[in-house]
Amino acid sequence: MTGGTEGMDGRPLLSVRGLTKHFPVMSRGFRRSVLATVKAVDAVSFELAAGETLGLVGESGSGKTTTARCILRAIDPTAGSVMFRLPDGRTVDLVKLTGGELKPIRQHAQMVFQDPVSSLNPRMTVGDIVGEPLVIHRLARGEELAGRVAEVLVRVGLQPEHSRRYPHAFSGGQRQRIGIARALIMQPSLIVCDEATSALDVSVQAQVLDLLKELQREFRLTYLFVAHNLDVVRNFCDRVAVMRKGRIVELAPTARIFSDPQHAYTKILLSAVPSPDPDVRMNFNVGDELAKLDAADQS
Amino acid sequence: MSESAEKPLLEVRDLAVSFFTPDGVVSAVQGVSFAIGRGRTLALVGESGSGKTVTAYSILRLIQPPGRITGGRILLRSARAGDIELADLGEEDELLYRVRGGLVSMIFQEPMTALSPVHTVGSQIAEAILLHQKRTVKEARELTIEMLGKVGMPLPSVCYYQYPHELSGGMRQRVVIAMALVCKPELLIADEPTTALDVTIQAQILGLIKTLQRELGCAVLLITHDFGVVAQMADDVAVMHRGIVVESGDVRSVLKAPQHAYTRSLLDALPSRRRPA
Repeated sequence: MTGGTEGMDGRPLLSVRGLTKHFPVMSRGFRRSVLATVKAVDAVSFELAAGETLGLVGESGSGKTTTARCILRAIDPTAGSVMFRLPDGRTVDLVKLTGGELKPIRQHAQMVFQDPVSSLNPRMTVGDIVGEPLVIHRLARGEELAGRVAEVLVRVGLQPEHSRRYPHAFSGGQRQRIGIARALIMQPSLIVCDEATSALDVSVQAQVLDLLKELQREFRLTYLFVAHNLDVVRNFCDRVAVMRKGRIVELAPTARIFSDPQHAYTKILLSAVPSPDPDVRMNFNVGDELAKLDAADQS
Repeated sequence: MSESAEKPLLEVRDLAVSFFTPDGVVSAVQGVSFAIGRGRTLALVGESGSGKTVTAYSILRLIQPPGRITGGRILLRSARAGDIELADLGEEDELLYRVRGGLVSMIFQEPMTALSPVHTVGSQIAEAILLHQKRTVKEARELTIEMLGKVGMPLPSVCYYQYPHELSGGMRQRVVIAMALVCKPELLIADEPTTALDVTIQAQILGLIKTLQRELGCAVLLITHDFGVVAQMADDVAVMHRGIVVESGDVRSVLKAPQHAYTRSLLDALPSRRRPA
C-alpha cells in the first residue's frame, strides 16, 4: 500500500482538484461590505486510491478541517472539483451536485468527528443514533434495522444490548466507537476522520486506531485522516499531506515525509514534536524559524 | 534554613484525597508520595482519571467539597517563608494566601479559565504583584510590562491594555505564565500547559517555561499525559495510575527501562513506538 494512487481500474476513488474555499471578512454596521477574504483552502489538489489512508496534517487554522468539510459538501467550496467514484463505477463531481442529487451519494462517504461528546445526540439512544442513517436513506426498518445496528455494534467492539442506552453511559473511547459504527453502517467506501482520536488517552487511542485498521482491511475502506498529531499519522497513514495557510506544502509517502521532509515548514513541524526519547532533543526555537518562513512568504 | 536547602523543596507523603458523593465515596488519590528538589522538574504523568490533577490541586489546597484531603502531608520548605505544612492549613489561613500565587503558582490547561474576560491582561498581572509584594501601582505596571516582554509578547506595553479574547491561545498561555511567574514563585505547577496548543506553539511555550525556570531558579511540577513532553522537560517522573504512583525515578531510567507493567503498557501505546498494524 505504498505510493499507488490508482484503484482497481486505474482510477482514483477520490480526486480533488483546485479545491478552494474563501470566507469573506465583512465590515461592521448596516452596510456590510467585504473588507477582505480569508483563503481558508487555497487550490488544494490530491488523489486518494481505494483502500488507501491519506493523512491531512497541519496546525489549527491551516485549513485541514475546512478541506475535509468541503469534500463532503458539509460546506460549499468556492471553486474546484471533487471527483468521487461510486461503487457502480460512475464518477461524479461532488461540488457540482445539488442537495437532492447529493443525498443518495452521501451514504458512500461518511465522517467520524473529533468530539465524542458533542457529535452524539444525548437524547437519542445508541441504537437510534447508529441506525439513523439507514432510516434517513430508507434502507432498513423494523427487525432488519435492529439486526443491522446490533451487527455493526458488535463489529466495533460494543454489545447489542448497548443500543438501548444513551451516549452519556459510555466512555470517550466507546463513544468514538459509536461514531464509527454510525459511519460504518452505511457501508461507505470513503470515511473522513476529522481528528477522530485526538480527544482520547493514548491507550484508548491505540485501540481505536487498531479498530479503524481492522475495518479498513475487512471492508476495503478508504480514509482521509485529518489530524494534528504527527505521531498518530506516522503509524496510521500511507501518505501524508502537510497543510499550511490553506495550501498543501508537501505530499509524500509517510516514510519519506518523516525521514526526508522537503519543505521548510514540514521540517520545522517535525522538529517541534517532543520525542519520548530523552536523548532526542526537540527544537524549542521553532518560533524564530517560523517567523523567518513567514518573512520569506511576504517577500 | 541552611539545613532545609539540601532537603527537597516539596515533599508529599501518603497523600489521600476522597470525594464524598451521595452515591458513595470515591477515592481519587490513595497514598501518593513524591518529592521535588529546588530548581528541578518533576513530571506527574498518567491517563485521565489517574489522579494527577487532584494531586496538583491538593498542593494549593484547591480541592473543593465534596472532595477532601483525607490523609498525608504536603511539606513545602520555602526559602522565603520557612517550612509550611500545607495539608494542615485552614481554609482561611493567612499563610495559604501567601502560598497561592506567591510561593507556589499554577498554570492551567485552558488559559481562559485562569484569565478574567472583563479585565485587561495587564491589570490582572499587576493585581498579582500588588497582592503579594509591597509595590506602588506604577511599579506594578512597569514590572508587568517587563514580564510581558520576558514571556515573548510582542509590544508588551500595548498588550498591557488588551483583553484576553484579543489574543490567540498561545499568547494567552504566555500571559498566564507571566502572571504565574511575576511573583517569582519557588514552585510552579503546570497542569497540562500545552495540551490545547499546536506543536509549534507547544515547543515555544515549553521552551519559555524552561528558560524562565532557569532564570528564576524555581522548581516545576509538570502534569501531563504526553511522554514526549515528559522526556523533553522533566528531570524526574512519577507515573500515576488509579490514584497511586506506580513508578517513579529519573526520566532517563523510567522511560528507557520502565519497571512497572503499567508504565510499559503506556509507552507501548505511544503511536511512535507501535509497529504499523
